[in-house]
Amino acid sequence: MKTEIDARGKACPEPVILAKKALETHDVVVITVSDEAAMQNVRRLAEGLGCSVTVERRGAEATLSISRQAGAGRGAVECCTGELKPSGPMVVVVASDVMGRGDDELGRVLMRSFLHTLTEASEKPDVIIFFNTGVRLAVNGSDVLADIAALSGAGTKILVCGTCLGFFELKDQLGAGVISNMYDISEAMLGAGKLVQV
Amino acid sequence: MTAAGWCVLLFDSVSQVLLAEKVLKQAALGHKVIPVPRQISSDCGVCIRFDPALRDRVVEALAGKVEVREICVV
Repeated sequence: MKTEIDARGKACPEPVILAKKALETHDVVVITVSDEAAMQNVRRLAEGLGCSVTVERRGAEATLSISRQAGAGRGAVECCTGELKPSGPMVVVVASDVMGRGDDELGRVLMRSFLHTLTEASEKPDVIIFFNTGVRLAVNGSDVLADIAALSGAGTKILVCGTCLGFFELKDQLGAGVISNMYDISEAMLGAGKLVQV
Repeated sequence: MTAAGWCVLLFDSVSQVLLAEKVLKQAALGHKVIPVPRQISSDCGVCIRFDPALRDRVVEALAGKVEVREICVV
């Protein structure tokens, strides 16, 4: 199914949102925009979704013909605020040795499962920060130490809160990553392009 | 990892996974708790992965202690 959208004069991110919505229900979307930024953003959205895009320019206006390829996802992109991809590093914050609140035994299984999937993820986090009881995951004897070490080996920076290791008397037990402080931790968190707290 | 890939043990509940893990730990049989691979199930369950070379010993260790739903090769 094909649809045409006139997004001329609409400010970003509206053209992107219109295109994204249309792609959820149509295989071919033809959208006309009236400035370069909108054209770039719509094109990035479409390419990010695995669609093929052709652009036809007429002065400042441009018409993009977007075709959904077989197997392309439907609209699975983050909401746009003009900038589609975050520019800073991806930071994962592990604030506890369990994942989620409720049952701790279940939470420990979920955490192990989560860290395992990180080792297999195509896009690995740039930084993982462990604090509070989360530091227990990065010490000798931890069930997930091998996963954390593998992530570290693959280039992920592992920051482990020194205050927390001290509090739990685990400072000499660190098995992966580096002992860090609140300056490094807050800097990594504030400078993150994407921050995920587990 | 061996050429044959991995074996995974599937269970009906997380509690059984934990129980089986305890048994395998006691028997010193190497394993890892991982999410159930996507190709097997879309459930967000967990399973136990191990080296196929250990298959007989794993099955023997769990026999009569934990009910295994299925053993898959991935």
